[in-house]
Amino acid sequence: MYWKPKAFYQDLFYLHNRAWDLQRRKRSTELTLLASRFIQILFLTSERRGVLSQSREKKSRLWMHSINGSVSFHSRLDSGILFSGENSKKLSRNYMDYLCFRTLCCKGPPPPRPEYDVVCIGLTGSGKTSLLSRLCSEATDNIVPTTGFSIKAVPFQNAILNVKELGGADSIKKYWSRYYQGSQGVVFVLDSASSEEDLEVARTELHSALQHPQLCTLPFLILANHQDKPAARSVQEIKKYFELEPLARGKSWILEGSTVDNMTAVKESFAQLIHLLEEKDQETGRI
Amino acid sequence: MKVKQGCDAGVPYTTEEDLLNSPEITPEDVLGLQKITDNYLCGPEQNVHKIDFTRFKIRDMETGTVLFEITKPPTSETGEDRMDFEQNAGRFVRYQFTPAFLRLRQVGATVEFTVGDSPINNFRMIERHYFRGQLLKSFDFEFGFCIPSSKNTCEHIYEFPPLSEDIMREMILHPYETQSDSFYFVDNKLVMHNKADYSYNGGP
Repeated sequence: MYWKPKAFYQDLFYLHNRAWDLQRRKRSTELTLLASRFIQILFLTSERRGVLSQSREKKSRLWMHSINGSVSFHSRLDSGILFSGENSKKLSRNYMDYLCFRTLCCKGPPPPRPEYDVVCIGLTGSGKTSLLSRLCSEATDNIVPTTGFSIKAVPFQNAILNVKELGGADSIKKYWSRYYQGSQGVVFVLDSASSEEDLEVARTELHSALQHPQLCTLPFLILANHQDKPAARSVQEIKKYFELEPLARGKSWILEGSTVDNMTAVKESFAQLIHLLEEKDQETGRI
Repeated sequence: MKVKQGCDAGVPYTTEEDLLNSPEITPEDVLGLQKITDNYLCGPEQNVHKIDFTRFKIRDMETGTVLFEITKPPTSETGEDRMDFEQNAGRFVRYQFTPAFLRLRQVGATVEFTVGDSPINNFRMIERHYFRGQLLKSFDFEFGFCIPSSKNTCEHIYEFPPLSEDIMREMILHPYETQSDSFYFVDNKLVMHNKADYSYNGGP
């Protein structure tokens, strides 16, 4: 079956609903006009966008007005009177397609988005909680250091990421590996403007994660956060300092700068991660 | 961390009486319950890991609207009597929603809890919702490992079970006959049991 663009059916859907309402309230003239519009849309397929020829328009209006006021919406759609032969068949086909769409779309919600389990780590103060809260459109004014885990389902256009965010304080960090089991991807957040000392600690942690048996085959999204701060090192500098080229060779990873001031870019970075997760998923499916 | 949902097929039926008589209650035991329990299946003293629920929030996933939010006030210095009251205070919640709530498809429920100073290996929640004698939905969620002295939050997405117009109407007309039991397990042993009931007629 050849489907028309969704908008086509949705217009009909709303008109049809309105028609039932008008019918129930016996608003005959409006019903006539609506039926006319309905037929116009049905007839205009995506291949032949355009206006009904003037003569046909006139003919349809004349016919519409002649219909008895109490007659139903459905009978107003009797295309045999308006169109003949091929056109009449086309109209019937389009109407049947629309009825199918109606049946299908009333059955339930849109197909569910795939879900992926992702672990989010990084030192304390790197901005994990802030970024994730913003992605969930939540307030960020009373964020305190995470002292355990924080599990959130973060919705994106093509997927839902079940993110397990872990606090970065020393007392929490030592338990990170207890949460790696079952992850399909990793988000590592670092403060691009942190001290040399802290940056070195972050590097050690990232390298650990990249080599950890439960994470080493997973896609990594590395966010060089706090790019808005004047002391922030550039993404190039971070890449070099963290030795990503040699150390992460053969693994799938993305390095992007980020700041809570530009969530559009952050969403774009996550979309790249989702792409890697989808690929990985398909790969595993084939095995 | 996926939420297992649905009504369990093939799990042996259990009754509250059976469980009250057994020394230890396991997840499989509560998965067999077919109706809301009359009593709590464990007392506050079973909460040896000192798990404390500090915040609860529900939001509509489609619009992001927060439908309900409650934070437990910090516990102040307590004497004997206060202690009892505090321990039992959070065990029961009464929710008052409007009829529109029943038309939601997905809600995000966020729970925040603190843990005592020993690590918890396997923390799991099983929550069962009933309307009168009928099981509407059962949720099974594994938190897994909990760091000692940590404060953790978890938001899980609840998909509403499809409810017929008849059941919805009955639920609206009969406030507080929709009830739920929330069972919490550590290493497969019941440590906490909370209850809730619900009204959907928008009134007290």
